[in-house]
Amino acid sequence: MKFEQRFDWRLFFIMIALVVISCFAIYSAQQSGQYNVNFMVQQLIWYGLGSVMIGFMLLLDPESYKKVSLYLYIFGIILLAGLMVAPNELAPLRNGSRSWYIIPGLGSIQPSEFMKIFLILMLSKVVTDHNYRRKTADMKSDVLLLGKMVLVVIPPLFLIMLQPDLGTALVFLAILAGTTLVSGVAWRLIIPIYGAASFLGVSLVWLALQAPQLLDKYLNVQEYQLGRIYAWLQPFKYESSDGYHLIKSMRAIGSGQMYGKGVGGSEVYLPESHTDFIFSVIGEEYGFIGSCVVIMTFFILMYHLIQIAHRANYAFSSYVVVGILSMIGFHVFQNIGMTVQLLPITGIPLPFISYGGSALLANLIAIGLVFAVHFHQKTFMFNEGRLDE
Amino acid sequence: MGNKKNNERKKKTHLPFRLNVLFFIIFLLFASLILQLGVVQILNGEEAQEEIDKTENQTTALPVPRGKMYDRYGRLLVDNQSLYSITYTPPKGVQAEDRLDLAKKLSQYIDKEFEDELRLRDLKEYFYLENQKEVQNRIDQEEAEDLEPGEVYQLELDSIKESEVNDYDNQTKEVIAIKKELDKAYALSPQIVKNENVTQKEYAVVGEHLNELPGIDVTSDWKREYPMGDTLSSFLGGITDRSIPRSKMEYYLSLGYSRSDRVGNSGLEEEYEDVLRGTKEKVQYTTDSDNNIVDTEVIREGERGDDLVLTFDSELQKRVNEIVRTELTKEVQRSYKNRHMEDALVVMSDPQTGEILAASGMHYNRDPDEDEQRVSNVSHKVLYDQYPPGSAIKGASVLTGLHTGVVSPGEYIYDRPLNIKGTETKSSYSQLGSVNALSALERSSNVYMFFIAMRMMGNPTFQENAPLSLEPGTFQRMLKHFHQFGLGVETGIDYPYEAPGVQGSNPGPGNLMDFMIGQYSSYTPMQLNQYVTTIANDGYRVRPHFMKEVRQPSKGDKKLGPVNSSFNTDVMNRVVMSNQYIDLVQNGFRQAFQGSQGTATSTFYPTNGENVSYSPAGKTGTAEASKLLDNGELFTELENLTLVGYAPHDDPEVAFSVMVPYVGKDLPMGGDKAINLRIGRQILDAYFELKEEREESGVDSDVTGSNNANNEDG
Repeated sequence: MKFEQRFDWRLFFIMIALVVISCFAIYSAQQSGQYNVNFMVQQLIWYGLGSVMIGFMLLLDPESYKKVSLYLYIFGIILLAGLMVAPNELAPLRNGSRSWYIIPGLGSIQPSEFMKIFLILMLSKVVTDHNYRRKTADMKSDVLLLGKMVLVVIPPLFLIMLQPDLGTALVFLAILAGTTLVSGVAWRLIIPIYGAASFLGVSLVWLALQAPQLLDKYLNVQEYQLGRIYAWLQPFKYESSDGYHLIKSMRAIGSGQMYGKGVGGSEVYLPESHTDFIFSVIGEEYGFIGSCVVIMTFFILMYHLIQIAHRANYAFSSYVVVGILSMIGFHVFQNIGMTVQLLPITGIPLPFISYGGSALLANLIAIGLVFAVHFHQKTFMFNEGRLDE
Repeated sequence: MGNKKNNERKKKTHLPFRLNVLFFIIFLLFASLILQLGVVQILNGEEAQEEIDKTENQTTALPVPRGKMYDRYGRLLVDNQSLYSITYTPPKGVQAEDRLDLAKKLSQYIDKEFEDELRLRDLKEYFYLENQKEVQNRIDQEEAEDLEPGEVYQLELDSIKESEVNDYDNQTKEVIAIKKELDKAYALSPQIVKNENVTQKEYAVVGEHLNELPGIDVTSDWKREYPMGDTLSSFLGGITDRSIPRSKMEYYLSLGYSRSDRVGNSGLEEEYEDVLRGTKEKVQYTTDSDNNIVDTEVIREGERGDDLVLTFDSELQKRVNEIVRTELTKEVQRSYKNRHMEDALVVMSDPQTGEILAASGMHYNRDPDEDEQRVSNVSHKVLYDQYPPGSAIKGASVLTGLHTGVVSPGEYIYDRPLNIKGTETKSSYSQLGSVNALSALERSSNVYMFFIAMRMMGNPTFQENAPLSLEPGTFQRMLKHFHQFGLGVETGIDYPYEAPGVQGSNPGPGNLMDFMIGQYSSYTPMQLNQYVTTIANDGYRVRPHFMKEVRQPSKGDKKLGPVNSSFNTDVMNRVVMSNQYIDLVQNGFRQAFQGSQGTATSTFYPTNGENVSYSPAGKTGTAEASKLLDNGELFTELENLTLVGYAPHDDPEVAFSVMVPYVGKDLPMGGDKAINLRIGRQILDAYFELKEEREESGVDSDVTGSNNANNEDG
């Protein structure tokens, strides 16, 4: 089959739409002049770099990715662990976290971004292998699978919490949740576990509000660490500290109203609006309509990923695509949600839109995996007995 | 493998349903986002806009001080002098009593000049405020009722006797003087209370007590200061006075300047504007409807501009300036024949790096204005002014001849006057007899160069009294060779302007012969310096430069900050001539300065035994010159005297060019050397003396004071 037929053109056009949105949004954000840097051009350079990488990724088929997933996973763990022991010049403390490697002459990379991909590959491999070997679908086998998956997630999760980086830790959990859902574990296990997890989450928030001293006593959570939750629920009470960003963001997005203020019409100054708070700028300058276009574009991407997971005739491919879908979906929901007070603020960028080299590159690698899945599908197509479009 | 995959595929029958569940969850999450957006933007949107409208944001960029400039040894050349000022911005509805209170408080912290500042009325107004009740009682109340308030006030002031206010002490007078400044202020616009001679202490103390001084503020500003006076001012350039140049308005505005910014508009200030300007501090003020500032937010921290470390050795520069000044004055004054002479120009550089160590240009003012000195510093002329240099460029001529093969190293040419049809007789300054490439340079033979020119033109043999043929393209071939030395092209120096030299167009055979002896095209002293540097460097042409390093602003008071970037030695090209030929020319240059028949030997190795120890090499030059006088007459009894060279001959560490245009012809020398030779000898002496002094006692870090003790005259 020819390249034109194997290439996923739909995904390609969705990505083009995201590039365009990213350029508009970053251009709008950098008008504040917080930094004297043209981030839009830099973002395009990163996109160019990522495109080349995707091109190379098409050369390997999913089977090959499965073979290297264990090594990538170990490599990622070593990188994360390295952050803890690396000297300060190599891994400096930024904004209270040790999440970056400085590579002289090149810039900085954030290994946790790439760990997300490695984790998706590793989890998919574990599930695929388990399901291949097991004889019958019984409770014991399901518990065993769950155990394996949790074991895979714990090391990176632990290292991330050391940095500390709550946002990325939540992304790991989202990937785990998504993969578990499609792994074939019986509903009678999944429902209680998800239920328990949700209950735990809600009760932690409730405790934080009602009895923070208990959290301090039993979980060693300092009160200031709960500031984000307080600020989320009562931003005006904490206007000078944790509530500051939320109030500014709500004011920016709200005042955009239906049609927005147009390019460069922003009135609210938000620090770092080209990265984590890029959606506030979109909301203010492009209004409800523009915001919905962005959300719908992501929704179409999600839909497309589900389609690919459906059609993939190699279980590993489906799991990888579901892992990627969980990761991007959670990023989008958490990032946009925090700008409109739906969720507390965590430092998570909006995929493909926010400025940021490592995060963008990692997301493009994820998309590269999806491209590769689609690209190598033909081998088994006739086994399926149906033709792709 | 297919079988394995088939197995794996069979095991995922649960997948389609689970995927649908997952998609449904995603749908719910995204739907909730849109729902919440609807609430925030459509339901509560207007409220948010009202919230913003209540306040107004204004972003201001605060200027930061410009970067400083240092010489190669870290001696300050351009500094910023801080200017402090204390301002008063009155809130609305302030009464005279409030201002008096403020003046009293302020007088504790600042000194204010009051002599000659105060009128009687000022004193009376003060008396009135202090004794309001009593003064009001002096006026007939019934009479006052019919009058305007202003008239009443005047009456009240009139009732105060001079004797009542005459014996105020100095302290009180100071308060009155301050109050007078405060009274001048309009509501909400800043008025300068004191900006001259505000000491650092006053600035700090007032700054500390701002909370008890409503409306008072302290600001700082700066102006350029030149600790070494005009030693280098000609190169350092200037900056605009609180405006960007109108002609480049759009350009600067697009770079984020504001209309009242100061930018470099000449010299190195202009060349390195982007380095020196720094990053402005950007502040957003949020004001409410009453114009009160409710929030100040620093969007971007400002940073002072980076510092420039220049290649100049300011101590050497001072000495060279003095040598050039002295010799120019002496030369102009010694003979009527020198009545059209006005400039003397010198460039000294490190040939291996292209660093300019000193560059001096002096101008003799025959009719100085009142505030003008007799001799003024016009150093920039070494880049701007161009003259035919005469024989100094013969190194390039010989190399061109050798490389094109029209002469060979061993060939002798008989130097005698040449008669050519169509041009006047062409000769050297005297009949030199047989010369080869080496002695042609040592003794400065013109005829040898004429033969190179004639043969390049297509005349392999010389015929007395015959016309010369001229192959098309000869001039271009000559230029191509000369350009490799920087003669006739820009030197590439880091400066906003440099003259490229004048090449002349459509030359005839006679012109091309003159070209080879430096009598046709014109060059700047900087070009001559690059040319001799190229020969000193075994044929490598390096880019001359003034900037040595860019350094970040230092944190402390005096020391330089860390290096941001440095100017690396830039080899622009290697001349095409072989090493063997370059060696030969270097030898010829050495002979010219040291050989028994050398044209400059008697200067550096005089018969009285004052020999130099640094083994110089180089070439003298004399060009016939003519000057168009103010009255339209072309005055021809003039010569341009030049000298180029380097030392020591085997490992050059300094290269120089000297150019003195419009010296009178056939001067009575009276035992003296010509001015180009005198200057050449002294600047080389100065360089090596300084080097010796420094080897003994290190680099003198402070040369701001007068340091002319080491200058020798004549």
